[in-house]
Amino acid sequence: MTWLNSHPLTFLVFAPTVLGFLIMALPHSLGRLSRLLGFMGALALFVLSLAWLLGHGGTGGTILIERSPWFTLVGLPVDYHLAVDGLNLWLVLLTTFLVPLTMLGTWNSLKDRIGTFAALFLLLETGMLGALMAQDLFFFYLFWEAMLIPMYFMIGVWGGDERRYAANKFFLYTLSGSLLWLVALLYLANKAGGFNPILMGQAASALPFGVQCWLFISFAVAFAIKVPLFPLHTWLPDAHVQAPTAGSVILAGVLLKLGGYGFLRFAIPIFPAAAMHYAKPLALLSVIAIVYGALVAMVQRDIKKLVAYSSVSHMGFVMLGLASFTVIGTQGAMLQMLNHGISTGALFLLVGMVYDRAHTRMIADFGGVAVKMPVFTAFFLIVTLSSIGLPLTNGFVGEFWILNGAFLSGFGWGRLYASLATSGVLLGAVYMLWMFKRVFWGPENKDEDSGTHHLHSDLNAREVAVMLPLVVLILWMGIHPRTFVAVSEAPVANLLREANAPPIRTYVLKPAVHQAPAVHEAGPEGHAAKPAAHEVHR
Amino acid sequence: MSLTPSQWAALLPLLYPVIGGCLVALMSLDKDQATTKWIRAAMYGTALLAVGATFWYLTDLWTTGSQPVFFQLHMDRLAQFTGIFVVVAAALTILQGWDHFHQEGWVKGETLALLLFSVSGMILFAATTHFVALFLGLELFSIPLYALVGTVRARSESAEGGMKYFLTGAVASSCFLMGGVLIYGLSGTLDLAVAAPVLAAKGLGTDPLVLVGAALLLLGFLFKVSAVPFHQWTPDAYEASPHPIAGFMSVATKGVAFIALLRIFPGSLAPLGAVGVKMQAVVAVLAVATLVLGNLTALVQTNVKRMLAYSSISHAGYLMLGFVAGTPAAFNGVLFYLVIYLAMNMGAFGLLTAFGLVGEKTTFDDLRGLGWKRPAMGVSAAIIMLSLAGIPPMGGFYGKYMIFRELVATGHVGMAILGVLASLVSAYYYLRFLVALFLQSPGAEAERLASDRPAVHAPLAGASVLVCAAIVMAGGFLQAFLANGFARRALVDGLGLLR
Repeated sequence: MTWLNSHPLTFLVFAPTVLGFLIMALPHSLGRLSRLLGFMGALALFVLSLAWLLGHGGTGGTILIERSPWFTLVGLPVDYHLAVDGLNLWLVLLTTFLVPLTMLGTWNSLKDRIGTFAALFLLLETGMLGALMAQDLFFFYLFWEAMLIPMYFMIGVWGGDERRYAANKFFLYTLSGSLLWLVALLYLANKAGGFNPILMGQAASALPFGVQCWLFISFAVAFAIKVPLFPLHTWLPDAHVQAPTAGSVILAGVLLKLGGYGFLRFAIPIFPAAAMHYAKPLALLSVIAIVYGALVAMVQRDIKKLVAYSSVSHMGFVMLGLASFTVIGTQGAMLQMLNHGISTGALFLLVGMVYDRAHTRMIADFGGVAVKMPVFTAFFLIVTLSSIGLPLTNGFVGEFWILNGAFLSGFGWGRLYASLATSGVLLGAVYMLWMFKRVFWGPENKDEDSGTHHLHSDLNAREVAVMLPLVVLILWMGIHPRTFVAVSEAPVANLLREANAPPIRTYVLKPAVHQAPAVHEAGPEGHAAKPAAHEVHR
Repeated sequence: MSLTPSQWAALLPLLYPVIGGCLVALMSLDKDQATTKWIRAAMYGTALLAVGATFWYLTDLWTTGSQPVFFQLHMDRLAQFTGIFVVVAAALTILQGWDHFHQEGWVKGETLALLLFSVSGMILFAATTHFVALFLGLELFSIPLYALVGTVRARSESAEGGMKYFLTGAVASSCFLMGGVLIYGLSGTLDLAVAAPVLAAKGLGTDPLVLVGAALLLLGFLFKVSAVPFHQWTPDAYEASPHPIAGFMSVATKGVAFIALLRIFPGSLAPLGAVGVKMQAVVAVLAVATLVLGNLTALVQTNVKRMLAYSSISHAGYLMLGFVAGTPAAFNGVLFYLVIYLAMNMGAFGLLTAFGLVGEKTTFDDLRGLGWKRPAMGVSAAIIMLSLAGIPPMGGFYGKYMIFRELVATGHVGMAILGVLASLVSAYYYLRFLVALFLQSPGAEAERLASDRPAVHAPLAGASVLVCAAIVMAGGFLQAFLANGFARRALVDGLGLLR
């Protein structure tokens, strides 16, 4: 137990791998036992993570840390450095929460090789938790890449008809970004003499601005592919649609978050000036992603593809919040990442539940589902409203803060882009509600071949048990979001102060989260304090 | 004449395989060797014993350190490193060979004898700077390999591949000889380590003839590592040869050629500064060509063995990038890469044997669905292929990491970008192997044929693949031990680099 007391994070990260390999060693015939073992393990890990990580006060400082030198290769030291602090606490908990929930939600979705699937799922959990907790960039890179392997097999083996194409595309797309990023990483590590982000930041600030920009771009591209930001999003619809339900949930719920988290944790702190310099293009791409994702989602005939494109739109909000360089916008992005994990994860689970029954996901195959599955409809409606951003649900708070942040940001483009992005909220309501109308309302589709015809049972107790915690979270995050963003407030404010972000412009509203640090009473005359990078940009 | 212990130490690693080879050759004179079980077992046992004795002796020497030069033999840590490297490859080859030759129905003791002679030649080749000994080593390991490529005479392609390899190899050897002769003619000494300072003192450092000589020597090495444009023999020879022999050639030939290149060019010819710089430029250009051509050609192969051949060409490109960087740390990376490459490629070719692919039936379609039927082999295949593609946390990533790091540190950022793009391309064809194993199910026809045939039984090849996969994983987690404790010490004590 003494080992456990001093290495709780190591246990959290690597226990799933150990269990995963154990399960892999079990024979195929024990698949059902393997699935149960995997679920119990993941659930235990969630309980442990709650017990260990919560209740340390909301100061935003480091909650748990493990650090020791790991190895030195060709003169560059690499640290074994895991930490949980205000920036990643809730993302870590989201991960440990979603894994057992997804396992339970897709209990009967797969028919063959269920043991191997559970094992890969646990390996993926190690990759995600490791990437979220690693503070050394080399260590982060290892997890970032290793994460691809289980996801590749999950899509490729258990996916739909085009699974091989989708799996290869997912793998190679992500790899292309991260390999080029590796070169930038090596370049910077040579200057800094190691992979510590603080040393790297110091080394980067000594480089010529042009070089900093190039390095930032390579970081940004690697993370933007994961997010995915507009022109780099094309792998996402394929991967989401072809992946089995559990894969889609985790892909949307956690993997995409790592892109936004990477910006917040590494790209912006290491290259603050370059990040500020590229704030406008980033924001522009985010706005395009918001509107374009929503427009494309509107015309989809497959519910799952619609949800996939809605992810592009929602993650566009996250990037817009980050690009606003305001406390409220960044906090909104943090919240929106959690929101998207909960809401889109829930949507994929619900789509998976209906697919398990009807074996189709085409909108046209349904109609009048509300009559046949009232409980399912109720859950779907709540999640839909949360995805749209109805007040009192989580989606509203996140999007509102982000738009507010963009509107108030010290950049000249802020108001225009915020206004354009607001149309994304509107379009979101259009595509979600239109889909909802066609699938659930209206007369029952009596056609023999239709999806509705095959819906024989409403949600069972297991499925309700999966959806209830999600609905509770949706409401909790909508009513009292401070629970989830209080810890990240100080780190975010600190980050923006060190990045020398332009002060916000005017006060239209005085937002609730925005109390202490970054509120400058200076008001409109914030123009005077603008940094050079901002001037360059205009 | 009595020899001191250190003189024996220089000779014995060469003698053990030769003695073993002679014994096996005598045993294989029995004309019942293909049918009588105990003769076969004795031949393989003798070969393994010879290889094992060499391994044991070399690891023992490693703990005592470098030996003094004896009879042009530098049995220093670098040579011991090479010896251990080659002997491990040979042991894996023998294990896989037992299963493979039974599957092919072509069990001949001569194969083992030739392999053992080749091992001896390889150790000699990497342990000397004297030109005559160098050439002797080159021929001693090449000629048995020419024969080994064409060893399965029942297949006509086999003889064709062997002939192709022999003819091109003979041209490369004569170029190598000519290069040595030119340097000898101008310097008056056959020892290349002595020739360099002599030439520099005579002011012949940039003499065109010296340059031509050095270039011809380089050509000899680059042919053996199958760098573009001297790579054409590789796919044909690998396709023609038995799987374990193809694995041995791809690993050991390339490995010793790189180590000898290291000993001759940065190690011995360093005093001729200008020559080194010019050769480095040549290597840089050819490395780019090798990476581009090797990877792009591998993309379109349908035969796994040809894919692996082109992949081994592209790996030569990565290793050459280490020479482009040219720092001691980069050479450290090259040696580390070679250790992992040994496990990856012996494992990849061993998988073909373990899955029971014989003769011409080595296309991707023949692998379909086998990963689920043989889970242990499937997991090993995943580890090995992802490592070949350079995905962390496997060992192959660290090899590339060390080389790319030095490239970036020496200002070759463009080359590093090209290198990572090449490994991105390579990920696609390595994934194809895994796609076939796990993501595709066998066709109905193949399913029916498979049920007619007896189940594949290849325990030794399977075990050797597991060992390879374990080494690859160890390379990912004990990377510092392998790189600093093994590869680095070979460089420090061998060439006096990295002091």
